[in-house]
Parts: sequence; C-alpha cells; structure tokens
Amino acid sequence: MMTIKAFSLVSAVERELLMGDRDRINIECVECCGKNLYVGTNDCFIYHFLLEEKTLPTGTAAFTATKQLHRHLGFKKPVNELRAASALNRLLVLCDNSITLVNMMNLEPIPTGARIKGAVTFALNENPVSGDPFCVEVCIISVKRRTIQVFMVYEDRVQIVKEVSTPEQPFAVAVDGHFLCLALTTQYIILNYNTGVSQDLFPYCSEEKRPIVKRIGRQEFLLAGPGGLGMFATVAGISQRAPVHWSENVIGAAVCFPYVIALDDEFITVHSMLDQQQKQTLPFKEGHILQDFEGRVIVTTSKGVYILVPLPLEKQIQDLLASRRVEEALVLAKGVRRNIPKEKFQVMYRRILQQAGFIQFAQLQFPEAKELFRSGQLDVRELISLYPFLLPTSSSFTRSHPPLHEYADLNQLTQGDQEKMAKCKRFLMSYLNEVRSTEVANGYKEDIDTALLKLYAEADHNSLLDLLVTENFCLLTDSAVWLEKHKKYFALGLLYHYNNQDAAALQLWVNIVNGDICDSTRSDLYEYVVDFLTYCLDHELVWKYADWVLQKSEEVGVQVFTKRPLDEQQKNSFNPEDVISCLKKYPKALVRYLEHLVIDRRLQKEEYHTHLALLYLEEVLQQRPSANGKGAEVTEMQAKLRSLLQKSDLYRVHFLIDKIQGTGLHMESAILHGKLEEHEKALCILVHELKDFAAAEDYCLWSSEGRGDPYRQRLFHTLLAIYLRGDPSDCELVVPAVDLLNHHATEFDAAEVLQLLPDTWSVQLLCPFLTGAMRHSIHTKRMTQVALGLAKSENLIYKYSKMKLKGSSVQLSDKKLCQVCQNPFCKPVFVKYPNGGLVHTHCAANRHTNQNSPSPGNRT
Amino acid sequence: MRKPDVKIVLLGDMNVGKTSLLHRYMERRFQDTVSTVGGAFYLKQWRSYNISIWDTAGREQFHGLGSMYCRGAGAIILTYDVNHLQSLVELEDRFLGLTDTANTDCLFAIVGNKLDLAEEGAAEDQENEQDSSREAGGSCVPAKVPKQVKLEDAVALYKKILKYRMLDEKDVPAAEKMCFETSAKTGYNVDYLFETLFDMVVPMILRQRAEGPPQTVVISDYEKQPKQMKSGCCA
Repeated sequence: MMTIKAFSLVSAVERELLMGDRDRINIECVECCGKNLYVGTNDCFIYHFLLEEKTLPTGTAAFTATKQLHRHLGFKKPVNELRAASALNRLLVLCDNSITLVNMMNLEPIPTGARIKGAVTFALNENPVSGDPFCVEVCIISVKRRTIQVFMVYEDRVQIVKEVSTPEQPFAVAVDGHFLCLALTTQYIILNYNTGVSQDLFPYCSEEKRPIVKRIGRQEFLLAGPGGLGMFATVAGISQRAPVHWSENVIGAAVCFPYVIALDDEFITVHSMLDQQQKQTLPFKEGHILQDFEGRVIVTTSKGVYILVPLPLEKQIQDLLASRRVEEALVLAKGVRRNIPKEKFQVMYRRILQQAGFIQFAQLQFPEAKELFRSGQLDVRELISLYPFLLPTSSSFTRSHPPLHEYADLNQLTQGDQEKMAKCKRFLMSYLNEVRSTEVANGYKEDIDTALLKLYAEADHNSLLDLLVTENFCLLTDSAVWLEKHKKYFALGLLYHYNNQDAAALQLWVNIVNGDICDSTRSDLYEYVVDFLTYCLDHELVWKYADWVLQKSEEVGVQVFTKRPLDEQQKNSFNPEDVISCLKKYPKALVRYLEHLVIDRRLQKEEYHTHLALLYLEEVLQQRPSANGKGAEVTEMQAKLRSLLQKSDLYRVHFLIDKIQGTGLHMESAILHGKLEEHEKALCILVHELKDFAAAEDYCLWSSEGRGDPYRQRLFHTLLAIYLRGDPSDCELVVPAVDLLNHHATEFDAAEVLQLLPDTWSVQLLCPFLTGAMRHSIHTKRMTQVALGLAKSENLIYKYSKMKLKGSSVQLSDKKLCQVCQNPFCKPVFVKYPNGGLVHTHCAANRHTNQNSPSPGNRT
Repeated sequence: MRKPDVKIVLLGDMNVGKTSLLHRYMERRFQDTVSTVGGAFYLKQWRSYNISIWDTAGREQFHGLGSMYCRGAGAIILTYDVNHLQSLVELEDRFLGLTDTANTDCLFAIVGNKLDLAEEGAAEDQENEQDSSREAGGSCVPAKVPKQVKLEDAVALYKKILKYRMLDEKDVPAAEKMCFETSAKTGYNVDYLFETLFDMVVPMILRQRAEGPPQTVVISDYEKQPKQMKSGCCA
C-alpha cells in the first residue's frame, strides 16, 4: 500500500515525570485543554502539566511538559475520566462512579461539593442545546440499569434535566444536540432524548469487543463496526461516507481532518475520510488511549503520553505529488479546502494543479495535463520553457520558484526518446493554438505565437501559413532566424510582409521563383507574387518588379497594372503614360493594358483608342499576310478590331483608313468610312468588294442606331440605290434589292421607292414589300388620327377648367386682404389661386421666386 | 463534497457480482474484485443531479449494516446470480427485510448477473464465444452451465416484494421493466440497468425538492422543541 506521512509521533510526558519507577502506577485517562494537560492515574492522582510546543531546527515539532502540580483525590480507586470545562474553569473528574468538579488551576474541589453521583461514564455535549455559555451539558450512563441521564453543570452546581431509559444496557455514549449515539448490548442506536424517538443503526456484539462511539463533527459519529470497520453515521441514521477498514482489535479512534486515526495493540493507523484509503501506519506497542482534543491528537501507553503532530497539509500534498500520486494529492487538497483561508487556498491549489499537470505531462497523459494546466491557470511560458529554444531570446520569463517540476528541459524529460519528444511537441502545438486566443495568453502573446511559429516551422505544419496571414504576435528577429534555419522562405516572406517589410518579402519570393533559394511551399508562387504586387500599395515596388513579372509572362504580369483594386484606381492610380512607356517592350502586355484602359475603364482619350486600334490592326495584318480576306474566317483579333472600330468614336479615322488602304480588310474599311458618315462609300465596299449583302443590311441597322428613323431611312435608300444603280441586266444585285425591300418594308418611303424601281418588276415579286408598306402607311395614318383625337379631347378638358375658373366673379373690398402680405387691395388687379385665395400680383410674383414659402397652387 | 440528491443501494448475496456491476458501469471495465468489506460509495453525476450509489458487502458478517445503508434509499438493486438459484432465494429470505428503512416510494430492481456464464441466452452468445476463446489458454475457464434462474422467477420475486411492501402493482413500474439480466463481464445490459434507474429516480428528486429539503430542519427544530416541552408542562 502506498503511504504518506501525515503525522509524526512525538513524546510529550516522559514516564519519569509521572510515576518514576513505581511500576504499578498506570495512566487511566488524559485531558488536554489549550496548554493544560491533565493525566489521571490508577492510584487516584491527577497530574497537571503545561505543554509547550516548539519547532526544532529540523522543522519537526517537539513538546515539553512542565509539571504544575498533582493531587490525590482521596480514594483508592482509579481516576476513570477527565474533562475540562474551560468556560467554568472546572475539571470534571469521574472517579468511583461519581463526577466531581475541581478547579482547573489548583485542582481543589469546589466548596459546594456539587457532584453527579452514579455515573459509569459520561460525555460532554459539544453542540449544546442551551444557549448558556456558563453551563456545560453532560450526559451520563447511570449505574441504574438501562438509564441515561442528562445534566446541566454550572460553576458550582449541577442540575438534572432528563432521564431516559434505553431498550438495552448502554456501554458507550456520545452526544450532539438532542441526539445521543449509544452503543447498547447488541447494537448501536441514535436516540433523541428530547422526543424519545430512536433509530437503530446496526447490530454489534459488545461482549466480543469494546464499542467505540465518537462524535466527529456536527451531527456525525464514528462507530466501531463489525469486521473492524469504522462506520460513519449521521443523527438521521444514515451513512454519508463509506466505512474505513481497521483491524479487528481497535481500542480507540480519533479524528483530525481529513484523517481518521485508530489505535490497536501494535499500530496507530491513519485513514483518509476523503477516499477511505489507509495512508499511514505507525508502530505503537501497548497503546492504551487515543483521543483528540480540539485538533490535538494524544495517544498514551499506560506509562507515557505522546502527541501525534500532523504534518502541514501542503507538505503532505507535496509529498504525494513527489511520488506522482496526482489523484490523491488533488483529493486531499480539495478535501481540506475549508480548513485553509480562501485566498491562501486558491494560491496553493492553483500551484498544486499546475504541478499535477506537469506530472501528467511527463507521463504523456496530455488530456489530463491540459485540463490541469487550464484549471490551474498555468503561465503558459512555464510549459514553453521546457522546450529548448522555443521562448524568444528577448523573453523576460523565468521559471517560478520553487519549481513546478523537476525537469530541466524536454530532452531530460523524454530521455532523448525522439518519438516521445514528437508527441510532446504535437501536444504543445495544439495547446498553444487553443490558448493563444484566450485570456490565458494575455501579456505574453509574443512568446506564445513565436513558440507556435517555431513548432510549426520545425514540424513542417500547414498551420504555419495560417498563423502568419492572420493576426499574430510573432517576434520578427527571433522568428526570422528560425524560419531561415528551417528554409521556410515563403513563410519568412509572409512574416516580413506582416511586419510591413514588403520589399524584403518580395526579394525573398523572387529569389525562390528564380530558383536561387529553395522552398516548394507554393508551386504558383509567381502568380502569388503578381497578385501581391497587384494589391501592393507601394508603387515603387511595383515598378521595381514590373520588368521581372513581365519577362516571366506578359499576359499574367500585366495584371499588376490591369487588375489593381478599384478604390486605388480612383484615387492614387498609375499614370497610364508611364505604364504604356514601360510596356513598350511587351506588346501583348501593352494590348492588354490598352484594352484595360479603353474597354474596362472606358477612358475617353483619343491616343489610347487609336493606339489600341493600330495594335489590333498590326496584329491582324501580321496574322494574315496574304491580304486576301475573302472567305477567311474572322480571327479573334479581327473581331476585336471590328468591335473597337464600331463602338469607339474616338480614334483617328483618317489615320486608320490610310493604314488599312490596300490591305484587303474591306469590312474594316467599310466601318471606318461609316464613321466618317461616308455611308455610300461604306455600303459600296460591302456590296461590290465583299458582296456581303447581309453585312450591308446589318450596316444600315447598326450605323443608324440611336440616330432616329429618317437617318435610317436614308441609309436604306442609299443601299437600295446602290443595288439599283447596277446594270439592270446584271441580275446579281436584283435579288438582294428585292430581298431588302421585302424584309425591311417599313424602313422605306414607299412612294419614293416605287418611282425608283424598274417598270419590269412584277407586283408579285414585290408583294411582301407592298403589303408591308401599305399596312405601315395605314397604321401610321390611324395612329395619327387617334393621337389627334386624344389631343383634341385633352384640349377640351383644359378649356372646361379655364371656363369654370373664369365663371365666378370676385368682389374686392377693403375687407379683403392679400393672403400673403395681409394688406388690402388698392387696385383692381389681383391673382387668384385655384383654391380661391386672392393675393397681390407683386406678392404672387415674390412667392413664385421664393420657393420656401408654402405654395397655395398655380396661378390662373 | 457534493451532497447527493438521491441514494441507490446494491444488495445481494456475496459473490453475485455487485461490485463488478458497479465497477463496470463507473469505470467501464471488468476486473477481478476482492470481497467487499463494509461498503463502498460512488457519486455519479447524472444530468444535473448527484446520485450516490452504495455497494454493500454481501458477506454475512456485514449483514447488519444493510439496514443503515438502505435508510432513505430511493432505489434498491437486488442482485442475484443467474446460475445460482440460492442467491435469488437469499434475496427474499435475508435481504428484503433490510429494505424496511428505505423511502416509502423506493424503487426495486431485480438483477440477475453473470449471464455470460449461462449456456442459453440470445444476445450475448457472440461475445461469450469471443471471451471464451480469449481465455481458452487460462486455467480456470468457468464451464458453461444451463441457466438456473429464469427471468420469470425474478418477476415472481418482484411481485412478492410489492406484497411485502404493501404496494399496488398499478402504482409502481411493471415487473417486466424492473427485472434485468446482465453481465458485468461483457457489459451486457449494465448501462441500461443503471440509466433506466437513474431516469426513474429523477422524478423522485424533483418531488423531494418540491416538498422542501427533508433533513435541514435542524435549527428550527432546536428552537421549537423546548417550547413544546414547556407547553406540555403547563397542560
């Protein structure tokens, strides 16, 4: 069995002081009250000693007893029992079945001679029911069979208050309030002497063994049970604690929280009331009496008196921790909570939790350790400091003294076992990660985050990057050295960036991309750098690395200019001229940038539009050097060119026409002519050069967009004219002409068209056109009539309201005042509002200009 | 120490497996136990309630303590060994008398343990096989024997208990719900047993709380009683 040193046994009264060499004389009873120690002997003497406690240099307590006096009681009987009543300055002495009162100091009997006769044994009520402080309650087992008596004992008199009879002969008694706990012949009972109600506890054979009944606290007793059990029972007759297991021949028991102490022939045993375990065994031969007096435990043989000195609880707990008995230490600490001042307890308990945490930690019991660290509010740095090199060099931390554990560092703790070491590191990672955002971290966030960074870097852990891109307190110098050592250059860049050293970060990353240093964290680091520069507010840095990113890839690199965040574009943007001149060497990038300016940002500047169109054109020409566009597919670039030429109105048309001349880009030149309003020329190109009639029709439609019907009609007429102008025998243009008329009947002035058409064309041929034109004409006529009718009726309504207003007459008199200035009208001129209000003309005019005043309505 | 809200007591002859049952439930494992001395005590947190569970000693020597342990109990688990008829008989002869001190509304559960050692039995067959193959090398594999005590016998005992306690069958849980067969070794039915009981004692706790704390009348008691004495004198 694991033991603990809870008590040490020291001698208090040596044999010589008591009886010298007289062998027949034995100790019968003891009493201790404060510093007063009384001993009763079998030869009817009472001895009075003064106990002095002192602490030896070794830290152990020692007692010296100085004899004050001794007195013979005048009988030839032994002194059976002694009890002090300090409030009365009386010692109760049981001798020869009689309880007498003597003065505590001089041991003289009191003059009145008050005594309790016929007592076999007695007990004091430590939870008295009378409120009188100058009175003690004494309960005796009477010499009368099956009788218990209760007395009030005063300074110089005694008074019986109750006599109760018991079902069997009682042998031992303890009392608490109105409750007597009695050992009867065959069982223990609880008896309420006030109500007479009794409660059986459990059977017990008094003939075989001496019963023990001991009050251990408020309403609770300790009893010797069968099989050497120490049973606990409350006044309600129930057991709230599991029994402790003594030896069969226990003769005495005492309590010194949280321990129960028992005495038998050979040993003193100590059990904890908290977990019922036996904690200590002290060899003690010929033990005779074991009793506790207000927390002081005294044990005697028949010849000498000894004191069991409890070791300080803190010492006991430390001993338990030292032998790694965490559970017991915590149980003990919690159990003694109420015996220690709250403030002191909290400090002590926290420390115990922390120590216990380190014990569990050393045994790699991480979940338990974590819980203990948490509840013990451990300074995390205590834990970090176990790991070599994790705390920043600048940290001011020193381990608490006395130390919380015995380990210098992790190497010692794991004895170099790499696997254990790795486990410990994983634990610290998860632990730091958990606490870093809690209040535990307050005050040393730098230490925690730096340690975490080091652990992550060393373990090649993904969370390293997460740590660095979110809010963190990693110390720059310490972390940088560590990251470099572990070749975490990308992460180092992030660290620099977090510390506003973007230049250093970029230099590192560029070196990685260039292959000068090796770090495979990101395979897309180039794109990352581009992205970084795109959002980088430091334009100098962008300029510095612009060439580098463009050389790597024009299309991707140009993003540093084209994808910049919108808010920056509005305020503090790059000067496009600078960018364009920079991009001169990178044609693809330049095209992308101009597109960005023209299309995305819609900059209305001629140069960009012309420049872009020109670049498109050059590209198109380069792609098709044959200059023969017929039937060729329209390339993407060509589509872009056409779209730009169509949509933009800013480029220099003449310049481009010159460029495009003779290149065979008919569609493009048609668009350009269109821009110059040279629609006939444009349409001619489409009809004659390209022979693309659909494109010609299309041209009429998009060129006239937003220009109104007459403009469009003009274009369609122009196209028709081109078709008809050709050789009449040449049927090639007849079909498109007819199709044009039939498809777009409403776009033409039918009367004009009819005059243009050759007489030879049949009505049937133009049937759709004619029908359409007719329907359109009729529709227009009817719509006009409707509009006319509506306009007339609207006019009528206005006339009606005008008539109505003019109809009533207005009389002006001196009593009529202007609503605005409240003056009478002097001239027969006024303004009348629709609501009937009259005002001066000049007032109305003022009001009209002054919008703030409440408007009464329109003038009529 | 937390104050328990309700008490549950395990009773039964020695060697039927009371400690093992409790150990299986609290510690989640089965291990050899020594004969219990006196009694042991566990505190179980169930939802927001503290339930104390007392393991008693089955030995005759400690029989006298049973009454005290049962005092104020909210539930009593009477345990027997399904392979040992006498252990069921003992429950009626020896242990039922101890329950007189329990609460009037005390619940009774009758539990036949060591089902793993019985030949018949449906649900735990597979586990048994695994167990026996694992222990095949061991020297003391208990031989399978036909189950001696049927569940109906336990049901019959339950009804006798109701008669003894003068309870109406309508007012208490049905016998079928309160008779269990378990194996502390395999864990079969053990959680079910305890948790069924816990759920049943919770309403008792609530009822007790509603009626007011029963054992905290101390101070007012002391004040009242002398007065009563006086009035007695005057009359």
